[in-house]
Amino acid sequence: MDIQGLTAVVTGGASGIGAGVTRVLAKAGAKVAILDRNEALGQAMAEEVGGAAFVCDVANDESVQAALAQAREALGAARILVNCAGIDTARKITSRKTGAHAIGPMKRVVDVNLTGTLICCAHASHAMLDLEPLDEDGERGVLINIASIAAFNAPNGQAVYGASKAGVVGAAVPLARDLCRYGIRVMTIAPGLFDTPLAGTMDEALTAKVLRNALFPKRKGRPEELGSLVQHICENQMLNASTIRLDAGFF
Amino acid sequence: MKLEGVAAFLTGGASGLGAASARVLAEAGAIVALLDRDMALAEPLAKELGGVAIQCDVADHESLKAAVDQATAAIGPPRIAVNFAGIDVSQKIASRSKGPHPIESMQREIDINVIGTLDGCALFSEQMMNLEPFEDGERGVLINIASGAAFNGPPGQSVYAASKRAVAGATLPLARDLAPYGIRVMTIAPGFFKTPLAEGVDDRHIDKLISMVPFPKRWGDPRELGELVKFICQNRMLNGETIQIDGAMR
Repeated sequence: MDIQGLTAVVTGGASGIGAGVTRVLAKAGAKVAILDRNEALGQAMAEEVGGAAFVCDVANDESVQAALAQAREALGAARILVNCAGIDTARKITSRKTGAHAIGPMKRVVDVNLTGTLICCAHASHAMLDLEPLDEDGERGVLINIASIAAFNAPNGQAVYGASKAGVVGAAVPLARDLCRYGIRVMTIAPGLFDTPLAGTMDEALTAKVLRNALFPKRKGRPEELGSLVQHICENQMLNASTIRLDAGFF
Repeated sequence: MKLEGVAAFLTGGASGLGAASARVLAEAGAIVALLDRDMALAEPLAKELGGVAIQCDVADHESLKAAVDQATAAIGPPRIAVNFAGIDVSQKIASRSKGPHPIESMQREIDINVIGTLDGCALFSEQMMNLEPFEDGERGVLINIASGAAFNGPPGQSVYAASKRAVAGATLPLARDLAPYGIRVMTIAPGFFKTPLAEGVDDRHIDKLISMVPFPKRWGDPRELGELVKFICQNRMLNGETIQIDGAMR
């Protein structure tokens, strides 16, 4: 699809990877709706890129429905959804020191990263089903979910985060199968270490280890580099149902 | 590990793959605790196998914790724990006729299949970590049940596939977290097995599914899955891996 003039919804779009996606899509001519928990950051980003920001907790079905409806009213029907909202908890499943992993943060990570992504896919795609196709191929929209390389190879202390992101990867194929008849594509990106507030919470030893294990380049990714992959996925119609690693070759 | 006399906890152990595995483990000398929602099924099976039946909803942390405590009091801390409890809701993520996938069934499926499994791993391994080590320092083994859908989900299975891929994705970091304690973590991704869950599918669809199995062209016998569970317990080099058992159905 040609992004110029289309509406894009970016969850978690006010910071980190989401901010990179928001900036790149806006620069390419999209009207961007930023769905974020943080109102102040969301408004600032909306002002910067000439979009609109809506407060949203992606783990809450009603909050998602309300925010998507507001976005549609403000900017028109969305053709692009990018699910960047995500959180991390670093804690071993059990250890003698800390005992069994607490249920509260375990549930919250899965609710935001996995259920939240699926909720946004359900409502955003439902709103796309009856839109006019954009071209002769019948394309109506594209959903892009953000997983993580932790979906494939998570370090210790990341069982819950890794599980939540693996869930996002596992959904890619059946989501694309569910939505192909409507001309809606579904793609997943699995980023490595990016320069974001979330990555900033990782301990230094783990950060150094991840960077050491990257093949090339041995540095954190820039959020705009992820944004440019999002843009390419939107523009390249043959990309569907797959998960692309963006990790400088990390094994 | 040797199975003779060790305690094995199985969530969802009263029916389907869980029941067959409980039978195989009990025949090999393990003492089984069946943690299940359905006591009408769990009690007679536990009696037959010389084990115990304990009511449990794995999606409810308090219920699961209480069940683990009861099972430990009854037969001792687990050396083997297998998370079979799971459900499957078949619905497209959005369609013109049915609208967006409702949140209630989506949340319930993830709570049982993902949270139930992870919370089970946390609570079972907490019991295992202070046991006397066996040979090589091995203290226990956790086995989780994913699905072939984790890798190639059919339409209408986005939520199920996501939940099962999450289980598969947790395998390696779980094994890394628990390696210092000599606890292994493995995942099994079954294809099409003859279980109550599968028998609910209509006949025409069953024929189609069986025709998709390259070899052997039939559905799996739950006992065959139980044999794999037993083998994983016995072979200590298996760790941090997901095994597909599906007659090559992908």
